[in-house]
Amino acid sequence: MLNDMIIGMAGSGGDGIVSAGDALISASAREGYYAMLTKSFGSQIRGGESSCRLRVATTPVLNPGGTLDVAVVLNWEDFLRFGGELPVGPDTVVLYEKKTGIEPAAIPLEVKPAIVLAVPMSELAMKSAGTLQAKNNVVLGLLAGWFGLAREAILEGIRRKFSKKGAEILQGNERAYAAGLEYADQHPLARDFRLSPPVARGGKRRVVDGNEICAEAALFAGCKFFGGYPITPATEIMQHLQKDIWKHGGSLLQAEDEIAGIAAVVGASFAGKKAMTATSGPGFSLKSEVIGLASITELPLVCVNVQRGGPSTGLPTKTEQADLFAAVFSAHGDTVRPVLAPIGVRDVFGVTVEAFNIAEQYQTPVIVLSDQEIAQRKDIIDPVDTADFKIVDRVKPTPEELAQGYNRFKFTDSGISPLSHPGMPGGSYLAAGIEHNEHGDPTSSGEMHERMNDKRLNKLNPLKQRRDLFILEGDPSAPLGVISWGGMAGATLEAVRTAQARGLPVKLLIPKLIYPIAEEVYRDFFASLQHCLVVEQSHQGQLYRIIRMWVDVPRGFTSLARSGANPISPDAIVRRIAAMAENTPATPSTTSR
Amino acid sequence: MSSPAITDCGCPPPAAAPLTIKNFRSELKPIWCPGCGDYGVVTALYRALVNIGRPPHEVAFISGIGCSSRIPGYTTAYGFNTVHGRALPVAQGIKMANPDLLVLVAGGDGDGFSIGGGHVPHAIRRNLDLTYIVMDNHIYGLTKGQLSPTTPRGAKTPSSSHGSMEQPVNPLLYVLAYGAGFVAQGIPADMDGLTKMIEAAIRYPGFSFVNIQSPCVTFGDPNDQMKVQKAKMRKLAEMGHDPTNRLHAMDLAQAYGTELYTGIFYQNPNPPPTYDSQIRERQAALQATAPAA
Ligand SMILES: Cc1ncc(C[n+]2csc(CCOP(=O)(O)OP(=O)(O)O)c2C)c(N)n1
Ligand code: SF4
Ligand SMILES: [Mg+2]
Repeated sequence: MLNDMIIGMAGSGGDGIVSAGDALISASAREGYYAMLTKSFGSQIRGGESSCRLRVATTPVLNPGGTLDVAVVLNWEDFLRFGGELPVGPDTVVLYEKKTGIEPAAIPLEVKPAIVLAVPMSELAMKSAGTLQAKNNVVLGLLAGWFGLAREAILEGIRRKFSKKGAEILQGNERAYAAGLEYADQHPLARDFRLSPPVARGGKRRVVDGNEICAEAALFAGCKFFGGYPITPATEIMQHLQKDIWKHGGSLLQAEDEIAGIAAVVGASFAGKKAMTATSGPGFSLKSEVIGLASITELPLVCVNVQRGGPSTGLPTKTEQADLFAAVFSAHGDTVRPVLAPIGVRDVFGVTVEAFNIAEQYQTPVIVLSDQEIAQRKDIIDPVDTADFKIVDRVKPTPEELAQGYNRFKFTDSGISPLSHPGMPGGSYLAAGIEHNEHGDPTSSGEMHERMNDKRLNKLNPLKQRRDLFILEGDPSAPLGVISWGGMAGATLEAVRTAQARGLPVKLLIPKLIYPIAEEVYRDFFASLQHCLVVEQSHQGQLYRIIRMWVDVPRGFTSLARSGANPISPDAIVRRIAAMAENTPATPSTTSR
Repeated sequence: MSSPAITDCGCPPPAAAPLTIKNFRSELKPIWCPGCGDYGVVTALYRALVNIGRPPHEVAFISGIGCSSRIPGYTTAYGFNTVHGRALPVAQGIKMANPDLLVLVAGGDGDGFSIGGGHVPHAIRRNLDLTYIVMDNHIYGLTKGQLSPTTPRGAKTPSSSHGSMEQPVNPLLYVLAYGAGFVAQGIPADMDGLTKMIEAAIRYPGFSFVNIQSPCVTFGDPNDQMKVQKAKMRKLAEMGHDPTNRLHAMDLAQAYGTELYTGIFYQNPNPPPTYDSQIRERQAALQATAPAA
């Protein structure tokens, strides 16, 4: 039996492959498994090829994984279009639609899979339900039958989904599911490929994606205003927020463009409310001038950038981590803005709340770098305990401070000055994009500019001591290190654990606070290292380069970086760790190259 | 908020307000060129605010970038001198976040109709209750005299030494076409008229627009200065114009650039619901059905 299984499916839009994936993950959650569901589409909005991959396991899933254990092919052209996203290996079981007319020995794959089965999916659907639309339920039956997946829970899901559509449709789909199960029972596999039963059934686990949980976190953090403009793959954040933000006494603006969106956010923040925007690459580029305005006026805001492939329109439906430079250097002038990145769907909650807290505490725009995969991937997660999070609000001037004559940009030890808002008697000031003195009056004095830059930059220093914004794993004295961030962190974590299990002396650092670079955290991490690998999904290796900008790095400081839409598998990372080990004198098997 | 006797625009009656111009004038000394029309604009605004009677801390005054956009700093309101062209979206965010505030927006012709031109139609159709004042000097003052979107065709400027080849924008027609509920035009030389129309604009419940032909003494057309304007001005009220007649208003607005009509071109007699009032309604309705967790 397997504890971990990866299923990949592809078909054309009408085949219902994606909704089969949704059904499987919901059933898996009810059954007590953990899982991760990623979907991928061709560039057509509707009706083109579509695919999904589900990784289901008895323990929490860290990344979508590499080679498929099970491949479901509704037609070969569509399947092959997803290439590297649905890799088949020698241990894969391939099920495909018999109607494609291809003999099992002649399937168009370069590797020879473990088992290849041509299944009359359409025929089973027609016979049982009288419609090809039931084909995906046949597939669910096959998967439940052959691989021991959530049999009852899938049926329950089918009942829930079709009960409103009348008895006839419901029964047809039930019969299609049964037909799949029966076919699997009658054609047992040569080897046991079944998934082990879940460790603990039930619980309060739920299926959610990164964008939805981002919206929930924003409301939890006290967000009262959202301004934004639709863009893939960030739009769902706005779509979720617009349902409920009003109940929280807030409001939402679908603006005429991204500039207006973030400008309205700056306005709402000036008016005293917690506010956010969310976008992706092209929109992020447009926002940059106003992000700078928020920096100089020291107004809190959260800007989520759900990264997709770039530059320009790039690969709008694929994930990439190539906006780190853009986030770190997001506007002109000598500024630093905190950049945070969640490492997975569940983590989006904590990171979003943290982003609001940091924005409010330090009176600064904060950029959250999510990515397409995290944003649109569905995970089964354990419930988030909101008691784990505190909520931070901006410091406001006291009545005494207002009575003494309010200085909005007063120099303080922390660099943080109490922030008033319209409506507060005695708190009036001029917020301006132009440099100002403590009172807020415009100035062109070089001396004042230097002092204000000091204030704006130094106030962020305490952030670098936030070690809770870093994940550290492994023996602190290990000679090998791996660093990764954001969407790549899961695969890297899995790889490092595998390498450690193989006895390789490797430790791991995952920053969630990406910028400012916490020099001491990296210095401490590097102290024992002879080699260090930075793993990320960008062509240039952007984090690798930014770390080098700020910290002295170990001699063997290398990068494993690939452009978006070219997943880096845990196996590939393990291989690089093993190669570093070979080059490390401390390890016994070493010869130098 | 604690303002007594709220009228339709949220303004208490003047009698309740022992405010004077001093309450609204800040300690910052304006750095406009001597003779710049914008001095008159800020004076008219102080007067209008005195008449309105909301205390300065309940006023948020937002601008973009330009000579004219310096104006919030010369008042005691909560001022926000944003970036070039984005005053309207910032102001809308403020009003949405706190509909109780009196929100004023101001800027130049370039700020409003060139770089920020894309925001104007949306501010109008959204119809938040705010007042937008454009100091239209037909030139880019701050950057020293280049073409603005309202510079007449043929004008020679540092960026058009052979003469402008573009047709200017007509701000009045533009905002009328998009459905603004209140549209007026004034000049600083007519201080009383200007004060009254700014006050009426603020009192109008919804998006209101005041175009002020505010001369630039330094880079502007010498034939477009205060004295010339005062002689050329024709008051709409004296011409028998009915400000509830939108089509007639549009007809008159076509003379922008040739005639100098002042006063209220259009005021919607049946103002539609504002965006901010709808926000309050939606919040109340949804909070009543299911309180936030
Ligand atoms: C993004 C950006 N582009 C250009 C400028 C330079 N700039 C500042 S004000 C201005 C035009 C000012 O003209 P107008 O808005 O008519 O205001 P005025 O100075 O005439 O009152 C320009 C081009 C800027 N500040 N920001
Ligand atoms: S340059 Fe023109 S618009 Fe600017 S302050 Fe001087 S006169 Fe006024
Ligand atoms: Mg101008």
